[in-house]
Amino acid sequence: MDICRGRVLSLELQVEAECFREGPKQVSRLYFQVMSKATSPSRKSAPPRQDVVRAEKLQAGYGGQGVCGVVSFSLHAAQALALVGPNGAGKSTVVKTVVGQLEAVSGSTLINGAKVDDRTLDFRREVAVVFDDDAFFPALTVEEHLAIVSAGHGVEDVEETIAAELEFFGLSALGKSRPYNLSSGQRRRMLLASAFVRPRSLLVLDEPEQRLDTAMRHRLATRLRAEVDAGLALLLVTHDPDFLATVATKALFIADTIHTMTPTQAATAIASENPHAD
Amino acid sequence: MSMKISERFSAKDIRQYTFRAGLSRTEGGLMELVSEVYTSILGALTLLTMAGALIVALRHSLGVGDESALLASAISPGFHSVTLLQASATVLLTLAAALLSVEMTMGPVAMTLPQTAWWLGLPVRRRGFIQPGFLKSLIWPSAAALAVVLPMALGMEVNPTPGRLALSVLCGLGLAWLLYGIASWCQITDSGAWLKKTMGAITLIAPLTLVATALFNNVAGGGAITAANTAWMEYLPTSWPLLVADGATWPLLLVALALGLLVLVFLNLERISTGQLKSSAAAGAYAASSLLSMDATELSRSLGGETSAGTSRIRLPLIFKRGTAFSRSVKTLISTHATMALRSPATLLRVLVLAAIPASLASVEFLGNAILIAVALYLCAHFAATTLGATARFSAGNPAVDMLMPLPAKTVRLVHYAVPAAVMTLWAPVCFGLLLALGVGSPSLLVLAVLAGPGLGAATLRAAFRPTPDWNMPAVASPTGPIPMGAIKAFLIGPDLTLIVLLPVLIALIAGGVPAIAFPIQLTLTFLAYKWGTHVRKPKSAKDGGLFGIPAAPVQK
Repeated sequence: MDICRGRVLSLELQVEAECFREGPKQVSRLYFQVMSKATSPSRKSAPPRQDVVRAEKLQAGYGGQGVCGVVSFSLHAAQALALVGPNGAGKSTVVKTVVGQLEAVSGSTLINGAKVDDRTLDFRREVAVVFDDDAFFPALTVEEHLAIVSAGHGVEDVEETIAAELEFFGLSALGKSRPYNLSSGQRRRMLLASAFVRPRSLLVLDEPEQRLDTAMRHRLATRLRAEVDAGLALLLVTHDPDFLATVATKALFIADTIHTMTPTQAATAIASENPHAD
Repeated sequence: MSMKISERFSAKDIRQYTFRAGLSRTEGGLMELVSEVYTSILGALTLLTMAGALIVALRHSLGVGDESALLASAISPGFHSVTLLQASATVLLTLAAALLSVEMTMGPVAMTLPQTAWWLGLPVRRRGFIQPGFLKSLIWPSAAALAVVLPMALGMEVNPTPGRLALSVLCGLGLAWLLYGIASWCQITDSGAWLKKTMGAITLIAPLTLVATALFNNVAGGGAITAANTAWMEYLPTSWPLLVADGATWPLLLVALALGLLVLVFLNLERISTGQLKSSAAAGAYAASSLLSMDATELSRSLGGETSAGTSRIRLPLIFKRGTAFSRSVKTLISTHATMALRSPATLLRVLVLAAIPASLASVEFLGNAILIAVALYLCAHFAATTLGATARFSAGNPAVDMLMPLPAKTVRLVHYAVPAAVMTLWAPVCFGLLLALGVGSPSLLVLAVLAGPGLGAATLRAAFRPTPDWNMPAVASPTGPIPMGAIKAFLIGPDLTLIVLLPVLIALIAGGVPAIAFPIQLTLTFLAYKWGTHVRKPKSAKDGGLFGIPAAPVQK
C-alpha cells in the first residue's frame, strides 16, 4: 500500500508539472491517466455469495411510525427482487431502511451476513445504491464525477470503464459537459452510470426507469438481467411492468399488507393499477 | 460487473482531485468577481458620500447641535437606558444560543451535498472526508468569539491591560469551543433535539428583553431596574468572559473543559453516520441559499432545522363568483398569497421582532448612536421585506405556478407586490413607533417611514426575482474552489433598492430632523422603486406580451 501511495504522490507531482506545461485544460485528462497508472496487482471482485440481503420482520417508517406492513425477505446472489405497489405505499422507505439510510422502526437487516452499517468499508465496497438525488459538483464534468467513483473504488482502467458506460448510457458526447447543463433524463442516466463504473455485488435502484426513454429502459433492463444472471444481487423499486418482467426473478407487493409474487403476477398487478404506463 | 481492482486512493487524493479538476477550467481570479460589482460599489460609495454631505448640511440648517453626526446620540436627554452590563450579558446569551442552534443544525461537522453524494459511498477511510470539515468549521465560532468578546471586554474595563484582554478573549474562545464540542457530540450521537429548540427560543426572546426593560424603566420612575438588579447576569456561563475582564481567573476552566471535549469529539469523528452528514449538508445548502436571499424566515427555518411550514389550517376564500374572469383570477392570487402568509404566524412574528431590533439597540447605554441605529434599521428593514417574499421566491423558482392563471406577467407581478407592500407599510409605524417611544426620531420621521413602506415591498420583489449565478459562464478561481460569475452581483440585487428607498429616512434620522422637502423626495423614490421592483423583463423572443411569452388566454365573462 505504501509503495502504491508513493507512486500516486510522485504521479501527482508529475501531473502538476504536466499541467504547467500543457495548461489547465489538460488537468482532468492527466488525472484520468494518473488514476489509471497508479495501480497495483488487481483484486478480483468477490465471488457471488449466498444470502446477500436478509430482512427480518423489518418495519420501515419515520419517527417511530411504520408506513407499510412488516417486511421479511432474503435476496441471494443471481437474484433480482422487485418491490412494487402504489405511490406512497412505502417502497422507497423500505429500500432506504434496508441500506441503512433510514433507521428501522423495528426488525433488522443483514447484508452479506453483517448488520447494515454504511460506515464500514465492506458495505461501501460491495453495495451500489442509486436514489433520485440530484446533487452534483457544479464545476465538475460528467466524466470527472464518474472518475471520482471509479478511481475511488480502485478500478484499474478508469478511462476505458467510463468511456464504455458513457457509450452504454448514450452520454459519450456529453462527457465534458457539466451535469446542470444536461436534461433531467440525461442526469438520470449519469447517476445510473455511476453505479456501473465500480464493482458491486449488490445493486439497489429506486425506480431506475424514471425519466428514461423507452429504448434506454429496454437496454438497461436487458443489461441488468444479464448481470443478475452473472451473479449480481439486485434490489429495485419499479412501476414499469415490462421492466419488471425483464429484470426481476421475484417480487414483493408493498402495501398495508405484504404479498410475495412472481414477476409475472407483479407485472400484471402494476399494469392493472397503471394502464397508461409506457 | 467484473472489473480489475487495484489499490484504492485515499480520501485526501479524492479531495484534491475534486478541488483541482474544478479549478482547472476557471478563467480569472477573485478580482474578476470584484470587478463585476465595481460599478455597484462605486455607486453605493457615491450615494453614501452624498448622503453624508447632505446630513452635515441638514444638521447645520436645522441647528440640531454642533457635534459631529458620527458622535451624535439619537436618544433624548434624560432617557433611562439599559445598563451596558445587562446589554452585554443579554447579547452574549443570545449569540451563544444562536451559535449552538446554528451549529447543531448545520453540522457542526459540515460537508456539501455533492460531497456527501459522491464521496461518502467510496470505500476509503471516511476520516479523510470528515476531519477537514470539522477543523475548518472551528474557525467560525473562534472568529465569532474574538469579534464579540474583545470589544465587550474593552467596554467593560475602565483601564484594560493587554494581558487581561487576552485572558478574556481566551475565555470567550473556550466558551465558543465548548459550544462547538457540544454540538459535535450531539451530531455524533444523534441527540440533543430539545437543546436545539431551547436555544432557538432564547435567540428569539432574549433581545426583546432589552427594549422591554428600557420601556419599563422610562415609566417606572423610582422602581426602574438598576445595575444592582441585573448584576446576577454576569454569572451566567455565557458572561464568564466578562468576569475574566473584571479580574476573575476561575472562569478559564472553560478552556480546559472545551479542549477535553474537542479531543473526545476528534477521536469519535468516524462515528458520525452518513445520514447525519447528509442532513447537515442539506441544512447547510438551505442556509446558504437563504443567506443569499437574505430571508430571515428561510434563514431562521434553515438554521433552526424546521422542516415544515407549520400546521396552521387558515383558509381564505379562493374561489370567487362575482366579477370578470380577470378580476376573479386576481382575487384568487391575492387570496392565495395572503393565505400563505397567514399560515406561517412565525414569519409574521419574526417580522415583528425585526421591527423591535433597532429599538433594542437604541435602548442600550452608549449605543444610542444615530449611525448605529440607522445601520440596524437598514438591515432589519431589508430582512423584514425579504422575509415576506417567500411566495414571490417560490414563483421565481417555479414559474409554471404563475402560469396557471390566465393573467399577463405584469399583473401577476403586481399581485406579488400586494402583500409585502401592505405589511411593510404597517411594519414602518411599529418600528418607528417603538423608537419614538424611546425618544428617537419624531412623528414626522414616522410619517416619512410610512411613505417608504410600499417601496420596501418593491425591494422584496427585486430580491425575489433576482437572476441566479450562471455556471455556464467561465467560473472564477477562489481559495475555496470555483465560484460562478455573477455570484456577488446577485447578492447585491435587492439590498440596493432597500438602501435607495430608505435613504431619505436614514438621512433624516442621522441629521436629527425632517425637512419638508424630504416628503416629496420620499414619495418619488417610493414610486420609482415600485416601477423598478414590479418591472418584468420580457424574454427576447417574446416582446408581444403575455405571461413568459405565452399570449394571455382570452378573457371570458
